[in-house]
Amino acid sequence: MRLTRYAVVALLVGIMALAQQASAAPSGPPVRIGSTLALTGPLAATGQVHKLVGDIYVEQLNARNGLLGRPVEWIVKDDQSKQDLARTLYEQLITVDKVDLLLGPYATGNILAAMAVAQRYNKMLIHHTFGIPSLATYDMQFPAWSLGPDPATTFPNTVLDALAASPKPPKTIAVVTSKFPSVQFVAMGAREVAKKRGLKEVLFLDWEFGNREFGPIAARIKDANPDFVWVGAIGLEGNQLLEAMKKIDYMPAEQFYMYPAPGPMVKAPEAKNALAATIFEEHAPFLNNPGAAEFVKTFNERAAKAGLADTAVETQAAASYTAWQILEAAVTATRSLDDKVLAQWLKTHTVDTIQGKLRFNGPSNYGDDLMRVKQVQNGRWVVVWPPEAAAPGAKLMVQ
Amino acid sequence: MHVVGLFAAVAIALAAVPFFGLPAFYETFLYLVFHWIVLATSWNILSGYSGYFSFGQGAFFGLGVYATATLAAHYRWPFLATLPMAAAAAAGLGLALGTVVFRVKQVRGELFALLTLAVTFVLATVILNTSIDGGPGVYLSAVSLPAIGRTPASTFYLLELGLAVATLAIAWWIARSRLGTGLFAIHDDEDVAEVLGVPTFRCKQVAFAIGCALAGAAGGIHALFVSYVTVAETFSITVPLTVVLMSVLGGTRHWAGPAVGAAVITIISYASTTGDHVLAGKAAVGVILIAVILFMPEGILGTLRPGRTRSKRQQGEVPQAVVPAGPGDQDFPRPAIQSSTTGARVLSLREVSKAFAGIKALDRVTLDVYRGEILGLLGPNGSGKSTLINVVSGYYSADAGSIVFDGQSIERWPPHRVARIGLARTYQIPRPFAHSSVLDNVVLTAMFGAPALSRRDALIEARRWLDFTGLASKANALPAELNLHQRKFLEFSRALASRPQLLLLDEVLSGLTPTEIDSAVGLIRRIRDQGTTIVLVEHLMRAVIALADRIAVLDQGSLIAEGMPDDVMAQAAVKAAYLGTAANVAG
Repeated sequence: MRLTRYAVVALLVGIMALAQQASAAPSGPPVRIGSTLALTGPLAATGQVHKLVGDIYVEQLNARNGLLGRPVEWIVKDDQSKQDLARTLYEQLITVDKVDLLLGPYATGNILAAMAVAQRYNKMLIHHTFGIPSLATYDMQFPAWSLGPDPATTFPNTVLDALAASPKPPKTIAVVTSKFPSVQFVAMGAREVAKKRGLKEVLFLDWEFGNREFGPIAARIKDANPDFVWVGAIGLEGNQLLEAMKKIDYMPAEQFYMYPAPGPMVKAPEAKNALAATIFEEHAPFLNNPGAAEFVKTFNERAAKAGLADTAVETQAAASYTAWQILEAAVTATRSLDDKVLAQWLKTHTVDTIQGKLRFNGPSNYGDDLMRVKQVQNGRWVVVWPPEAAAPGAKLMVQ
Repeated sequence: MHVVGLFAAVAIALAAVPFFGLPAFYETFLYLVFHWIVLATSWNILSGYSGYFSFGQGAFFGLGVYATATLAAHYRWPFLATLPMAAAAAAGLGLALGTVVFRVKQVRGELFALLTLAVTFVLATVILNTSIDGGPGVYLSAVSLPAIGRTPASTFYLLELGLAVATLAIAWWIARSRLGTGLFAIHDDEDVAEVLGVPTFRCKQVAFAIGCALAGAAGGIHALFVSYVTVAETFSITVPLTVVLMSVLGGTRHWAGPAVGAAVITIISYASTTGDHVLAGKAAVGVILIAVILFMPEGILGTLRPGRTRSKRQQGEVPQAVVPAGPGDQDFPRPAIQSSTTGARVLSLREVSKAFAGIKALDRVTLDVYRGEILGLLGPNGSGKSTLINVVSGYYSADAGSIVFDGQSIERWPPHRVARIGLARTYQIPRPFAHSSVLDNVVLTAMFGAPALSRRDALIEARRWLDFTGLASKANALPAELNLHQRKFLEFSRALASRPQLLLLDEVLSGLTPTEIDSAVGLIRRIRDQGTTIVLVEHLMRAVIALADRIAVLDQGSLIAEGMPDDVMAQAAVKAAYLGTAANVAG
């Protein structure tokens, strides 16, 4: 009886403690996290995705007691898609606003501009979608996009592995690419990888980013008649090439697009079975990763409410969320806001994120290449390779 | 001196900013302001002053970016050593472009703008498709920055401040120099400027090269500032558009106008980088800019200090010349013949021909003009009188024949060179430089005509001729404020300030009232009395008879009569040419 009384008291105390913890509001001076985003200018469409993700994460973070028990304040400025302004605003965040921590801007050029400032002031910089790992030479920068240190080699191998496992492995390849830096260097790597794997290159050509005339490119591909086309496309270039090929009644047996605009491509009928790169899609096993399901649900709702063109979570939104997860993990584990302490911890630990476990102990602080191959199937994107990341029951479809 | 002193004081104060211990952000932000000041001001040296609107500033800036990026990142040149090369490369491109396009009269206005824009695209394509870039961009992280300032931010700040100060000083100097005077004249009427002695091709080339060099140097510094350069970002269309907007906002005819515009736009652009309503902020900025441009079409400085005020200030420094000037003669007594065919030839035309699309405007014209005389050049409409003036002044080149002026063969000379040896002309419809004051209109010919005076001496000379023509009280007016009579006299003043040996007057009396004609005739007579030889093209026979020592008559491009007025007018061929206008001849 006496034991039961103690047990009840202990239980009540425990419940009260848990209740208190659950409802504890962060207190004290805020932890100030600074970043810029391309909220206006040519990169604004993606910049708005990162802004929405950041807003969601900070709300969630503050709802679970902030960082170190202190509220989190996110100071985000509009770099207008300009490198020089991004650089200037990071200097302001560090020397005037005196933020505690930094998060990166979007995209590669702006991240490099911000990285130079961070390096000058010995600030850690966690960034979302930096496309060229070899340029990330600062030892306190950490990528949230798990490309691996050499995506020009590893990722083409992933794609060709997927095709090799298909019922009709390609024997010939055409590589066509935009001269956009972050897709061009992977396309060049794909040529080398294909050659080493014994594929015969029947066509290579490139075009200037901003090109709108894809008819001649489509005709050249049709003439070459490859088994597989690697398209170094970014944004709407993929859709434009697909439309051009449709006009000449041509469809490659297999086709891969590096970084297409995911929404427009999945909606295009001619994109059936098209392949692309991703780090996250809205299905298992990704939804089993920590925080993924809740984030996807919230993002879908908020993106629709904000009027974003594409409300699905894929590479950009996932990398953005991952960056915040990395930051939170390091601060929580070290109970520190010291950049060097945080950086040292990240270099020696892995972080559970919605795209999987990330490590930062490789060249340029990159870890594993977690890029996946997804495919348009029945009007939706599904990951088809590698098998452990594939959607339940999904397999690579061939024409 | 006030401007120089103030400018130097501001420059020194700004140079001290790194020592105030301010956060580095302020230096970096001011760097951006200086960066745009350099780009806008360097653009303005050709485009604002001369009106040759270029959309190619992105090309020259971009060439500077890639010159430094290539030399520093690929060839390991020290950063500072790359900057002169960045400037030289941009200047070289500008000169090469100018050598082609500035010779073609059709490539003005929007064609020049489009052509320079096309050059930007071509250059971007070349860089993108060669080893200069090739697509991946150029990363300059390995390039070391010299320790000019205490911090990297200070170094960039001081470098760009130095370039901005140099750019503004050059713009200020040019605006007050012979070059600037020529450029402003080109802006208003390039053909007239050339005929009045402005070497328009050389002026444009020099201005273009200087502007391009400064833009190239700014590009060189900016390459390291952003540290990663790509073709898409570097050759973005926003660079030339922003530069034009800044210059127009600040005022393109003022040396400091683009700097004011650059500072205003950079600051308000930065002001919309924070908060949750950046789009609304940017829209508000756009509305403000549109409103300012609509209501201040001459730009901020153009509105605050219009040309007339500027001229008045300059004029205040000028000693007043004392020249006796009398009113125009009230009657037309026939002059005593002061010269005749026995005098020295000042101009000799031999077998001069000129045709347009197969139609002979001048057909083997042989004519002499003697020093000190007034030669009346007559002929019905379309007879070739104006063509003759245009050929002699160099505006048209003769198809055949020789033209000797003061002992020199000038038939292949450009107009400005002809003007420099003492041959001036006026226009039937006055063509003053609309944005320059009456005084500045006259100053130009004193600087670019035969005397080739300095600006200070030219101001004295201009005042003298404005007194002579009775326009002294209108010195600060703009030409649009003059009536026709006064504009005709402005043409006289402008021609006289070049101290011509020979003055070609093209229907200067047309459109004037009888009283004004009396005044003009008296003026012409006084001009000749000063020793200037005059060729008078005129339809008003009464005045010609009163003024001319000799008369030459053209009909359908051919010289049909030449000699003493009474003799010539009595010839049957002349009467036939003027058939139907006998009443006027009788006068």
